[in-house]
Amino acid sequence: MSTSSQMLKGLLDGSLLALIAKGETYGYEIIHKLQDHHFPIISEGSIYPVLMRLQKKNYVSTTTRKSPSGPKRKYYHITQEGKEELENFHAQWKALSQGVTSLLEGGDH
Amino acid sequence: MLSNQSEQFIVELRMYLMSKGKRDKDIDEIVDQLTDHLHQAEKEGKSVAHITGDSPKTYMQRLGQEMDFDKKQTILLVPQTILLMMAFFSFTPAVAGTFSLSILGLISYVVMGIIGIVIYGVIVVKVLPKLFHSKWFYGILIGAFIIVTGTFVVIMFIEEGMNSEPFFVASPLQNNLIAVACIAIFIATALYIKAWFPVLIALFLSIAPLGQRFVPEHINKDPFWITVTIVISVLISIGVAVFLMIKWKKKKTA
Repeated sequence: MSTSSQMLKGLLDGSLLALIAKGETYGYEIIHKLQDHHFPIISEGSIYPVLMRLQKKNYVSTTTRKSPSGPKRKYYHITQEGKEELENFHAQWKALSQGVTSLLEGGDH
Repeated sequence: MLSNQSEQFIVELRMYLMSKGKRDKDIDEIVDQLTDHLHQAEKEGKSVAHITGDSPKTYMQRLGQEMDFDKKQTILLVPQTILLMMAFFSFTPAVAGTFSLSILGLISYVVMGIIGIVIYGVIVVKVLPKLFHSKWFYGILIGAFIIVTGTFVVIMFIEEGMNSEPFFVASPLQNNLIAVACIAIFIATALYIKAWFPVLIALFLSIAPLGQRFVPEHINKDPFWITVTIVISVLISIGVAVFLMIKWKKKKTA
């Protein structure tokens, strides 16, 4: 696995949590929203293992309803635990991205 | 309607997750989600590779890793398989109207059942998932079926040669009931794994014994009808082969 896809894999959990926190959504819509944010994903299917993981950790809950086009559709919403985890992720990301940016763009000291 | 590739991916995913002992409910949920996703993705002109990435097999494994192993269901799989094997073994004689049981026959059923489950078990869980995208997939499945069935036929002949006394001979009504029960098991299995091959195999198995039971003897021995039957079977075989070839080509070019 390339360095960039390793990196993405680590960030996808928190990023999907952030997206779900913006409002109830489902699989294919998540892909569209990620694209709207120019978020680079490896493959569209890669969100599903992450969604399963988030659900198992109780960060998101789901409801299944009929979609306008017919088949059942699983909608994801964030839980209280998910909100707390998202805050953690946000803080960690801030620190990490500042550090990495400073390393990459900073001077030689 | 999903494209052939998407359809195949969904079927393979289901078989893979089932062979790994994942919970039915979880399998249904992820399969439903991916089917919905593929529907919409195809409307926008995307292919399966957009969803699975370069390796569908790796993708299936990653999905599997996130799902829990269901012990209870895996244990239930064994009696289910035994039931299916028994149905396959009993179906042909029941349709032919010659179902009977002898001690020796019963023992060979049990032995064959165990051997069959071990062979199929190893193939389904260990071999097939590695060959999902190989042309060997169906070849190996059919090969295993022929070996298991072939061994059973040999045992049946040995048993017949030893002339063991049956302790149960089915009446015509009982034969029909057994056949109906077998058909019910085939349909239930087909619905459960959401693939039609158990019913297709059963149909295939029932042709010869149906003829044996219902075609009057003088026609059965008449060279004219034998010729007609051979010609028709050859034509049907060619038809099926051509149909499969066209389907295969379509899949390759699509």
